[in-house]
Parts: sequence; structure tokens; C-alpha cells
Amino acid sequence: MAERADSVRARAGVLAMVILGAVFAGAPFGAPAAAVASAPGAVIRLTNTLAFEPKAVTVHVGQAVEWRNGSLLVHTVTADPALAANAKDVALPAGAKPFNSGDLKPGATYRHIFAVPGRYRYFCIPHEGAGMVGEVVVLPAQVGVR
Amino acid sequence: MKPKLTIEDSRVRRRPGRRYLLLGVLAGATALSGCAATQNAMMKMMPASMKQKMMAKMTREMQAQDPWKGYLAAHRGETKPLGLLGGPVRVSIRQEGGGVFVALPDYRRLDPDVFGTPKLPRAYGGTPGISGVPPMARAEDDGHYTKLKMLSPFGDKYTVMADGRLKLSALDATATDAARTRDWTHMTASWKDKAGNVYEVKCCRMMAAHGLEFPTFGGVATNLILHGSSRIGTPLMPTEYTYFAFWGVGSVMKNGEVVDPHRLIHGMLTEYVRTTGYRLGFDKDITPTRLQFHLMVAPFKPDMKTGHFDPAPVKTGFRLPNGMPLPFWHVMFENLKIEARRG
Repeated sequence: MAERADSVRARAGVLAMVILGAVFAGAPFGAPAAAVASAPGAVIRLTNTLAFEPKAVTVHVGQAVEWRNGSLLVHTVTADPALAANAKDVALPAGAKPFNSGDLKPGATYRHIFAVPGRYRYFCIPHEGAGMVGEVVVLPAQVGVR
Repeated sequence: MKPKLTIEDSRVRRRPGRRYLLLGVLAGATALSGCAATQNAMMKMMPASMKQKMMAKMTREMQAQDPWKGYLAAHRGETKPLGLLGGPVRVSIRQEGGGVFVALPDYRRLDPDVFGTPKLPRAYGGTPGISGVPPMARAEDDGHYTKLKMLSPFGDKYTVMADGRLKLSALDATATDAARTRDWTHMTASWKDKAGNVYEVKCCRMMAAHGLEFPTFGGVATNLILHGSSRIGTPLMPTEYTYFAFWGVGSVMKNGEVVDPHRLIHGMLTEYVRTTGYRLGFDKDITPTRLQFHLMVAPFKPDMKTGHFDPAPVKTGFRLPNGMPLPFWHVMFENLKIEARRG
């Protein structure tokens, strides 16, 4: 009987691990699941004048940044050296994975949760040549911010 | 009561012969190359009719300096032109929504790599604006050209319009300029202003099998350099690698109605020639690995009798914020799906 109870507990434990794993896998780069649903640490507008506004923001590890395309144009939010026309337009801290929103049509939004502290430099693929580049500075996690 | 005469008026009235002498001196001084400041001052003092005559004379002189005259003379009568090395190229370009950039009239900054210096000017032959820029039309500062003195479709000013759509398919088969061509382009491009008006350009019911002042390579060209120092097309655009280009005759429409039925239309897929703030770059500012499609309906019409271009504003149906009609379309599409293949 005790053996069966242990087995049930073990199975429940495995199940819990699987569920937690699935939740964490769904969150980009292992960021805490709670952060996905919470308000973003910063909101950035994508404009008709080919700018990320504000151009630079600061958030903490575990916080999301949300980009909102309020323009008539299709933009992207891209921090991937393989996709940059100019190497100076992209920067990732050691250990951070590249990211790319894909095409953001007018009115679309994109969120990214930052799990690695450091300085990120990103660009818009179609308008990189026209200087559409932005920056996110990610500070270590704040106590109580998870 | 007699009207009061100014000193200048009184001199002219007393000695009418001097007036013509003065105009002759002005004309001579203006025609001389060199001191642009003197030329400008002289031009300002000239009566409008004389200015017009001088401009027409200067235009003819510039057209006579067209660098492609010999090439075009050798090719325009060719009835059996050769095909492209390696065979024809089929091209398809699409944009399915998103915005477009519509160029507004501006004073184009002049790239020294293209235009040289006032002492050694370059890129002046051909119809002003179409294939050359006369030295007189260039502003100078401290021994360098700065910008074009008049407004043109090439500059840094623009507005964004919504719902940009481009559907283009084309064949580049004929290699050179010729009397006949196997090249073709089918293109529909449209965009929408804030008020919901839809502007559309359709092309090409006829290809420009040969150019008037510069080559058109049968009407469609692929994988070549255009504009800037190439002297193929206006030097006011940078020297740019062009993956695809066409020249043909089509229509300009507004809200489904044809507003300008017979226009020379030019489109090209090039490397990215805009720089920070969407300014039109110089040659050194180009981003080679990003592409953009330019659609141009220029404020000129070809005159087949003279073999040159005449000014002819495009009836775009769009008004600028100052109430003036926009006399050209220069529209950039930058969210493109591109396919191409040989055969």
C-alpha cells in the first residue's frame, strides 16, 4: 500500500515536472511563467519615421519588453547577428539567444522576456539601412520581481 | 503728378540703348562657365522672357552633351537583337500590404563622387533632371557643390501611405537596346492616402525597347548598375546595383479612374539607398544587402521627334500639404517577396 502511495507520489511528481517543464518551455529562454502574463517592463512604439520610441529602455531580468507597431509600415524587432546587414546594429550579452519577431504588420505587437542581463542592440530588418535601431539594457532581477 | 523714378529706372529711360547692351552683357556673362555667383546674380536681373530663352538654349546644349548618343544611334534600329547571355530571366516581385514611402519634392544634396566639383564638374550632359544636371542648377559653397537649386523628386522628404501593394511579373530576354524587344512587364502598384483615396499605377502596354537619352536594354534589365555615375538614368539617384529594372508605357489612376493615361513608367529593384532618417544617401551610404523597389512616374514626357524629354507634370491627383498638386510619383516598396529564375 505504502509502495503504491510512493508510486502515486512519484507519478504526481513527474507530472508536475512535465507541466512545469511545458510552462517554462513556452516561456522564451526559460523566463519565469508568471512574467509572461504580467505587465511589460517597458513598451516601445514602432513609428512611420523609422524609429523605436523610446530608442533605449531599461528593464530587469524576468521582465518583458513589448513592441507596438503603431505605424502604417511593416517592421521587425530583430536581435540576430545572422540577419544584420551591419554588425554594429546588433549586440547580445554572453549567453543570450538571438530573437526575431518576424514581420509585424500595422497594429501588431511583440513581446520578449529577457532572461540574461546585459546590453541588447536590435534593429528592424527592412529599415536597418535607414537607421532603425534600438537598445534594451537588462539589469539583474529585482527582489520581488519574478 | 509724375511718378517718381528710381535711379535705375531713370538711367534706362534716358538711354534706352544701354538697356540692350546691359542685357547682352548679362547674357554673355551668364553663358560663361565659371563664376556661379555672378551667373546667379545676372540671372536674377534678367527679364523672364530672356531667362526662358536662355534656359531653352542651355537645355539644348546640355542635351547635345548626352553621353549615350553614340550607343543609342548604333542600337535603336536593330530589329534582331541578341538575347541575354545564359538565357532569359523571369522575375516576380510582390508586396501584400503594409506602408509605402512616397517621395515629396526636395532639394537634392549633390554627391561629390557623382557630380565632381565646380572646377571639374561631372554628370551634366542630357536633359536636366532626366540624365544630367547643368552646373548652373547646382548650388555651391567654398568650392564644392551642395545641393540642387530646384525641387526634384529625389531628396530626403517623404510621407508614408498605407496599404501598399505591388504585383509585378516580368521577362528580361533582350540584351541590348533595339527596335524590337521580347521583354515584357506586367505591374500593378497601389497605395492609399489618409482620406482613403487609392492611387494606382499600371504598366506596361508597351516597353521602351530603346532609350531616348540612356539605354533601356529592351525595356527590362537585370543585374546591372544604374543612376549616379553610371549615367544611365538621373544622376540625382545614387550609383546603385540594380537587380531588376523596367521602362515602359502605362497609366496613372486614382480611385479606379485613369487620371493620366500615357506615361513613361520606370521601376527598379535595387540595393538600399536610404540612410538615417530615410535621407537619400550618397554612393558611400548604400546598404548593399538590403533591397527596395522604386516606382517612378517622372514629370517628363519623351518627345520622339527631338529624341529628348520635355517637362510634363504627372496628374497624380494628390495634393501636397501646401495645396499644390504633387507632379510625380516616386514610391518605395520595402516589404518584398522576390522570385527570379533563368529560362
